[in-house]
Amino acid sequence: MPEQRDSRRLSELERRFGELATAIPDSPEKEALSVLHAIVQETRRTLAPAGRASGGISGLTLEDIATMYKRAPQMDGEAVSEPLAVGTQAPEFTLRDANNEPISLSDFRGSPVVLVFYPLDWSPTCSDQLSLYQSELAEFERFGAKLLGISVDSIYSHGAWAAVRGITFPLLADFEPKGEVARKYNVYRPGDGFSDRALYVLDGQGIIRHAHVSPRLSQIPDIYGLYRTLSDLTGQPMPTSTGSESVDATR
Amino acid sequence: MLVGNRFGVRSAPAQAPVVVYGTRWCAATQMVRRYLDRMGIPYSFVDLEQDPVAAAQVRWIAGGTVSHPTVSVGGEILVQPSLNELEWALDRAGLL
Repeated sequence: MPEQRDSRRLSELERRFGELATAIPDSPEKEALSVLHAIVQETRRTLAPAGRASGGISGLTLEDIATMYKRAPQMDGEAVSEPLAVGTQAPEFTLRDANNEPISLSDFRGSPVVLVFYPLDWSPTCSDQLSLYQSELAEFERFGAKLLGISVDSIYSHGAWAAVRGITFPLLADFEPKGEVARKYNVYRPGDGFSDRALYVLDGQGIIRHAHVSPRLSQIPDIYGLYRTLSDLTGQPMPTSTGSESVDATR
Repeated sequence: MLVGNRFGVRSAPAQAPVVVYGTRWCAATQMVRRYLDRMGIPYSFVDLEQDPVAAAQVRWIAGGTVSHPTVSVGGEILVQPSLNELEWALDRAGLL
C-alpha cells in the first residue's frame, strides 16, 4: 500500500512542521519558511489527477470555468443596508427566471420560501454560496421550503452560470428596472449596482420570519442557523451533523 | 485550546481524525462541514475567530494568511481543499 505509506509519511512531516512553529521566533526567515511550505502544498495540488480531460475551446474545461471565480478579483465591503422587519409581510414581486418564465412570490403561498439575494453571478463567494445551497436541496425539500436566488444579472447570465455550476433552483433576474426587488427588500447597494448578501425566510403566508444581511459581502449566513430557523418554522428536525465544536471548551 | 495535535500543537487529545478549521460565515467551510455531515464522517470544528492559537497555526501552515477552511485529515493538511481533494484525502486515510 505505497499510497497509504506516503500519506502517513506526509502526515508525520506535517506534524513536525507544525511543531516547529513555536520554536522559531518571528522573523523574515520564519515567514519565508511558511511561504515555502504553502508553495509545496499548492504545487502538489496542481498535479493533475490521471484521466483529467483537456478542454475544448482555449483548452478550458467546464471545471476551469466553474472555478474561474477563485482567480477573479475579490469582492468585499461592508453591508450598507438593514433588512425589513421580521413579522411584516414580504413585498410581492414577479421576476423572470433563466427560461424567461415569470415567477411570482405568491406562486409559493403555502410553503416556506427562502429568498437569497446575492451580488452577482460568477463572482467569488456567490459561487460557493449557491453551490452550497444546491448541494443542500434535499434538506430544503425536507423542510418543504422553496429556494429562490435573486440578483441583478440577466436571464442569460443566470442560465449560463446555473448550467456551469449545476444549479437547478430558480435564479431570478432583478434586471430592469435594475435592482427593483432588492430595493423593495431594502438590500440594494446603489453605489455598486447590486444587492447586499441577504437572506429572508418567509412562512407559508408570506410573512418574514427571519431576515439577515451579511455584515460583509464576503460572508454568507451560517447554514446551521438557517436550518434552525426552518426547523423552528416547520417543526421538522435539524439535519444530522457529525461535527463537534472543539474550541473554547477549555478556555 | 487547539484540540488534537493536527498542527503539532501538544494540547488536548484528538476527538476525531478530521478537524475543520474555519469560520461560521465562510461558504467553503460550510461546504466542507456539510459534506462531512452527509458522509457521516465525524469531525471537530474549530472556529478560527474564537481560537487565536489555531489561527496562528493556520497562518504558519498556509504561508502567512489565515486560509479557511484548512482541514486536517489524519494529519494530512489541506488548505482550502475542493471537495474532490478532500474526498481523495479521506480515501487515503481510510475514512471512506
